[in-house]
Amino acid sequence: MGHNVLLVDDSSTMRKIVGRSLRQAGLDFDNIFEAADGLLALEVLEKESVDIVLSDINMPNMDGISFLREKANRANMKDIPVFMISTETGEDIIGEAKALGAKGAIKKPFTPDMVNEILGPFLT
Amino acid sequence: MDIGQDIIEATTDIFSTMLMMDLDVGDPLEGADGDVLSNITSMLGLGGDIRGMLAVHCPAAVAMAITGGFLGMDVDELNEDVKDAIGEIANMVAGNLKVAFAGYDMKIELAIPSSVVGESFRVAGMLGARRVAVPFAMEGGQFLVELKYIVNS
Repeated sequence: MGHNVLLVDDSSTMRKIVGRSLRQAGLDFDNIFEAADGLLALEVLEKESVDIVLSDINMPNMDGISFLREKANRANMKDIPVFMISTETGEDIIGEAKALGAKGAIKKPFTPDMVNEILGPFLT
Repeated sequence: MDIGQDIIEATTDIFSTMLMMDLDVGDPLEGADGDVLSNITSMLGLGGDIRGMLAVHCPAAVAMAITGGFLGMDVDELNEDVKDAIGEIANMVAGNLKVAFAGYDMKIELAIPSSVVGESFRVAGMLGARRVAVPFAMEGGQFLVELKYIVNS
C-alpha cells in the first residue's frame, strides 16, 4: 500500500518537480496533495489523510517554520512527519525546523536520487 | 571574495543537477549598469549583512526552454509557469549564494522572488552598489545572472 504525501511550496513549478522526482525515485504514493503556503497546508491536513509532508521554508502568508509551529499545536496532525525542501540549508534555520519537529531537509537543487536517499528509509 | 565565480558555481550547479544541462559560461561583468536584453526578469531582495538584489534576465526562448526542461513538456508562451520557473531559478541561485556568503562569514537573508515580463530592463537605484553579472549560454540563447549589493557596515 502506498502513502499520501503533501507538497507545500509557493512555486507551482517546484511542486511539479518534486512530484516528478518522487515518481522517478520510485517512491510509492497513492495521492500527491499540494498547497501553496503553510496556511493552505494546514487546511489540507485537516481534511485529508496525509502520511508525510515535504515543505518549503520561504513562502508568503505562512512560511515553513510557522507552519511547523502551528502544526505542532494541533493534536490531529502533530505526529505527521515533515521534511523541509528548501534553498535554506543553514544550520540555524534547519536546526529551528528540527526543533519544531521536522525530520530532515532536502536542499534545492536536488535530484530524484537525493530525494530517495532521504525519504526512502522513512517510507519502507 | 570572488562573487563572479560564486555566481557561476551557484548557477551551473542548478542546471546540471535539475536540468542535466551544461551551460557555456561567459566572463563575469563588473561595473556600471547597462540595459539588459530580456523578455522576463525574476528578482529577489537580499538582506542581512548585505542589502541588494539578485536578478535572472532571460530572453523568451531561453525562459521557455528552462521551463520546459523543468516540467518535462513543451512551453510556447511566457505564461505563469515560465514566471514561476524563472523565479525558482533566482531563488535557488540566491540560496547557493547564501552558502557562498556564509563562507565569507556573512549572513544573508532571502526575500521571495517576483517576475516581470517586458522588453528590456535596467535595474536602477542602490547608489554605490557593487554589480556583478555573468552571462550564460544554452540552447536557445543567452541569459544573465546579476547581483547588486552593498555590504552593511
